[in-house]
Amino acid sequence: MPRATGGRMKYFEDFRLGEVSVLGPLVVDEAEVLEYGRKYDPQPFHTDKAAAAQSHFGGLIASGWHTCAMQMRLMVEEMTRDQVAGMGSPGLESCRWLKPVRLGDRLTCRTEVIDARPSASKPYGILKRRFELSNQDGEVVMRLVGLGLVAKRPEARA
Amino acid sequence: MSGPRYLEDFEIGACERFGCYPVSEDEVVEFARRYDPQPFHVDRAAAERSHFGGLIVSGWHTAAMYIRMINDHGATRHALAGLGFDDMRWPRPTRPGDLLSVESTVKATSPLQSRADRGIVTFATRILNQRLEAVMTFDMLVLFPRRPRA
Repeated sequence: MPRATGGRMKYFEDFRLGEVSVLGPLVVDEAEVLEYGRKYDPQPFHTDKAAAAQSHFGGLIASGWHTCAMQMRLMVEEMTRDQVAGMGSPGLESCRWLKPVRLGDRLTCRTEVIDARPSASKPYGILKRRFELSNQDGEVVMRLVGLGLVAKRPEARA
Repeated sequence: MSGPRYLEDFEIGACERFGCYPVSEDEVVEFARRYDPQPFHVDRAAAERSHFGGLIVSGWHTAAMYIRMINDHGATRHALAGLGFDDMRWPRPTRPGDLLSVESTVKATSPLQSRADRGIVTFATRILNQRLEAVMTFDMLVLFPRRPRA
């Protein structure tokens, strides 16, 4: 698992193809699921416990978009822990919500670097990583492939 | 309200524009503090020094505002579930003060192999700002029921 050593920033060149790290855990909080659901995705199975129990999901579940946001929080924790010189993201290749995320679920995320290309003209490289978010039963609840911009080492910038 | 109910009701190329979501700085910072606390999303002074030149909205907050506009439009009413999305891009930053809307075009419909009563509709989706510039684009995949046989 990558670790920042001695307060050193982690630059694009410090990521290796195939590098794996594990993020989390994060426990899915009922109040937060309801708040996100009511504010952004007000479908009964995200906002109303009784209605959710009667739905085909059989109980409250987190909005898939909320799950994306929770996953982002794990990524920012990683960036802070490892002092990654992140410069934002141009986007994602794909995302699938594979299983419902439920209240109290304990989520961990496995990430793997699957491509790393330096930009020819810009001061950063583009990392492609696969993220698998799993619950406490080992079920993958969300899988995504995302792109991230990470600054090159200062001496490598044109 | 009428509108597409079954997979068979969606016509390839059908396009809708809807929604009007004003992006407030307070909401941008509140969302980002909880989910995406990078300096250019939560700290105005740091954002001004960054290569973005000012506060920008977390891409996941733009996504959240999109799903709110989808709900308000009634587009989730007959859907069974969102399955995910492909090719998401944030081609330019969303900023506080922007006014967002949704443009959604039916790109494909495909019956499920595993469940004869369901199918997937792919919506080519663009989130636009008040200058009608795309700030987020993706293909959204949604599960719908198929029309029951008479």
